[in-house]
Amino acid sequence: MLSYILRRIVATLPVMAIVALFVFSLLYIAPGDPAVVIAGDQASPEDVERIRQSLGLDRPFLVQFGGWVWRILHGDLGTSIFTNLPVSAMIGQRLGPTLSLMIVTLLLTIVVAVPLGVVAAWKAGSLIDRVIMGFAVFGFSLPVFVVGYMLAYIFALELEWLPVQGYTPLSQGFWPWLENLILPAIALGCVYIALVARITRAAMLEVLQQDYIRTAKAKGLGQGGILFIHALKNAAVPIVTVIGIGIALLIGGAVVTESVFAIPGLGRLTIDAILRRDYPVIQGIVLLFSFVYVLVNLMIDVVYTLVDPRIRY
Amino acid sequence: MDRRTVLKGLAGAGSLALTGGLSAPAIAQGAAARTLRFVPQANLANFDPIWGTQYVVRNAAAMVWDTLYGIDSSFRPQRQMVESEEVTDDGTTWTFKLRPGLKFHDGEPVLSKDVVASLTRWSARDPMGLMIKALQQELTAVDDRTFKWVLKQPFPKLLYALGKNNSPCSFIMPERIAQTDPFKQISEYIGSGPLKFAKSEWVPGAKAVFEKFADYSPRQEKSSWLAGGKQVMVDRVEWVIMPDPATAAAALQNGEIDWWENPIADLVPVLKKNKNISVDIGDPLGNIGSFRMNFLYPPFNDVRARRAVLMALSQEDYMRAIVGDDNSLWKPLPGYFTPDTPLYTEVGGEILKGKRDLDAAKKLLAESGYSGQPVTCLVAQDQPITKAMGDVTADLLKKLGMNVDFVATDWGTVGSRRAQKTPPGQGGWNMFHTWHAGADCVNPAPYTAIRANGDKAWFGWPTSEATEKEVASWFEAKNIDEEKAAMGRLNKAAIDDVVYAPTGFFLSYTAWRKNVTGVAKGPLPFFWGVSKSA
Repeated sequence: MLSYILRRIVATLPVMAIVALFVFSLLYIAPGDPAVVIAGDQASPEDVERIRQSLGLDRPFLVQFGGWVWRILHGDLGTSIFTNLPVSAMIGQRLGPTLSLMIVTLLLTIVVAVPLGVVAAWKAGSLIDRVIMGFAVFGFSLPVFVVGYMLAYIFALELEWLPVQGYTPLSQGFWPWLENLILPAIALGCVYIALVARITRAAMLEVLQQDYIRTAKAKGLGQGGILFIHALKNAAVPIVTVIGIGIALLIGGAVVTESVFAIPGLGRLTIDAILRRDYPVIQGIVLLFSFVYVLVNLMIDVVYTLVDPRIRY
Repeated sequence: MDRRTVLKGLAGAGSLALTGGLSAPAIAQGAAARTLRFVPQANLANFDPIWGTQYVVRNAAAMVWDTLYGIDSSFRPQRQMVESEEVTDDGTTWTFKLRPGLKFHDGEPVLSKDVVASLTRWSARDPMGLMIKALQQELTAVDDRTFKWVLKQPFPKLLYALGKNNSPCSFIMPERIAQTDPFKQISEYIGSGPLKFAKSEWVPGAKAVFEKFADYSPRQEKSSWLAGGKQVMVDRVEWVIMPDPATAAAALQNGEIDWWENPIADLVPVLKKNKNISVDIGDPLGNIGSFRMNFLYPPFNDVRARRAVLMALSQEDYMRAIVGDDNSLWKPLPGYFTPDTPLYTEVGGEILKGKRDLDAAKKLLAESGYSGQPVTCLVAQDQPITKAMGDVTADLLKKLGMNVDFVATDWGTVGSRRAQKTPPGQGGWNMFHTWHAGADCVNPAPYTAIRANGDKAWFGWPTSEATEKEVASWFEAKNIDEEKAAMGRLNKAAIDDVVYAPTGFFLSYTAWRKNVTGVAKGPLPFFWGVSKSA
């Protein structure tokens, strides 16, 4: 297993290299100029050009790319064109809020979606099943920002139970940390819950038809034990797979959710960097996201061996 | 590793977080009352007011760095860091003396050498600074509190230049920081103003914190814009960046923020209904909407084509697209200068007044030789103001019978493409939309967009000798009457040659919680004099 993990980690290197080249090239040919944004609207073309030169943006593609790769190989993601801060420090500032949001959303999803999917499969064709699947369709259909606004209006403005926006680090207390994440996690989790619930239902329906389930029933096992110990364990592989794939959905959704709830996370940093053409920051974030995605896939493969002892690498 | 180990680890981490969390201190209510939470117009992405000249940087910098002079609400420069000044009879040698007791945020005294270095860096970037630099013979520190500026010829607007609130302002920094190349960003933020920048708490794009500087020595006069006593009444000012206006509106209603610099017009009715919120015009100098036509290529290299567009455009259409039905938020603008300011003029603005004459405009356009070539119109869709104006312009040009190549893009792309001097079909352009802060349009000094010196002019590169002549007249004017006369001639010349198309004058609101007092109207948010009760 350990050698498999090491091989997979080594295999990520060419993937990261291709991502790096692709991102750098794309940004190079994309229209827009950070010097224009820095100089401000009243700046003269000469001022803009001087700023471009001072930032090294007037140098040829290969020189810029070579310099960037050299720095990456030395563990330096570069310096933000705008803030003059190291990209790694900027990402570090934003990692906590995004990780918090994703963890709470993930936990919420697992706690809500898996039982819903199990119950829907158990009561397949009944009113309960239809209600749960109707909710799933609803969750799929509503854009994140609409859910976000609705939740903020009801629970923050009308009921005044939770804050509208912001983020409090965990170091300032568990409840202050959690109360800022509840509404964003529900908004972000809607699509995810819908997806996992549907997949859980489908996987469970298949497992519930198996002979060993009939045998378990014949042995007189309780319904809960059959569903959550025997059936769910055997339906876990596709569920784990979709939870992993869904993390990509979370990364995309976090961009919108962080804007709606003013959470200072990586999603907002990405948008700000793109709008300003802060190339080093964009490149650093994309590299990080691609690394996280590769890592999540690796973790899913490892989790497979935990839920299904037949799988060995 | 097995499942039990994983579960134990997670449980351990959870309980650790829980325990650590519950023991953390809560913010006391008193501290919250001494903290002013403010939502600025944009993200504070960098913090060097000379290197980056965006308004939001200027607004933050005005808290942290002081200036030698400050323009007050009557547009007059008043002494700020300066105690006294003397000028020779021929107007070429200025000697300034600094107030005693001025300190930087690191505790060091403000000395003449710091002023000299700061003015040198500023004058390399500021349009007025460049004019002074061109006349400069020497700028030297005489002693710790005295410095001398010797010019080759008089520059009557010198004190105005040192006190103006237009970006970049001549902020005073320590010498070692001010010696940074003006085209490179500073990395230390040691200020001379009433608030300190808390760099350790800065999360670019999310939060910026400013703390009261206990050793700041305010003037005794009443504060007025950048002039007078800058008395800070709170301990901290927190800038909270909120990209979503709906979130900012909800946070203000909920009391999570105290002051929102510029609520969008659509959300103002909701805020006005809330009994805990005050809403008023924030900046009475407002903004001037505009689109610029490229003087280098047909059809707008012909003044008749430019005049045809001016003749047909309805400023009301543009303003309604920007501010909606609120009539208190806009005014027609038959000229280029900010209404309700001392030098405002409408001389020569007839072409923008009265009923629009589409037929006459079409006739004039035909006379210009326009024969249906595409007109490349750049419109930034991510800026509500430019998007609204772009839609109106597209409709206007179509009514005139023009073939519109509508390029819907983002502001970053417009910003770089507008600098292209290539023909419109080869990466260039014919038109782009923008707007100018009214504070930059009160007179020609900070007004880059009014200049018409061809290659050296702002994007669109207008050429108008008459306009340039009157800009020079204004700079040479010795009194207010001469200034007013020059402004009238300038407005007429610029309209005759259509340096750019003004689409109207518009204002915007600012909103704050009623437990906040002292919010002053002005071209930027002033944090001195603002207090907050629990």
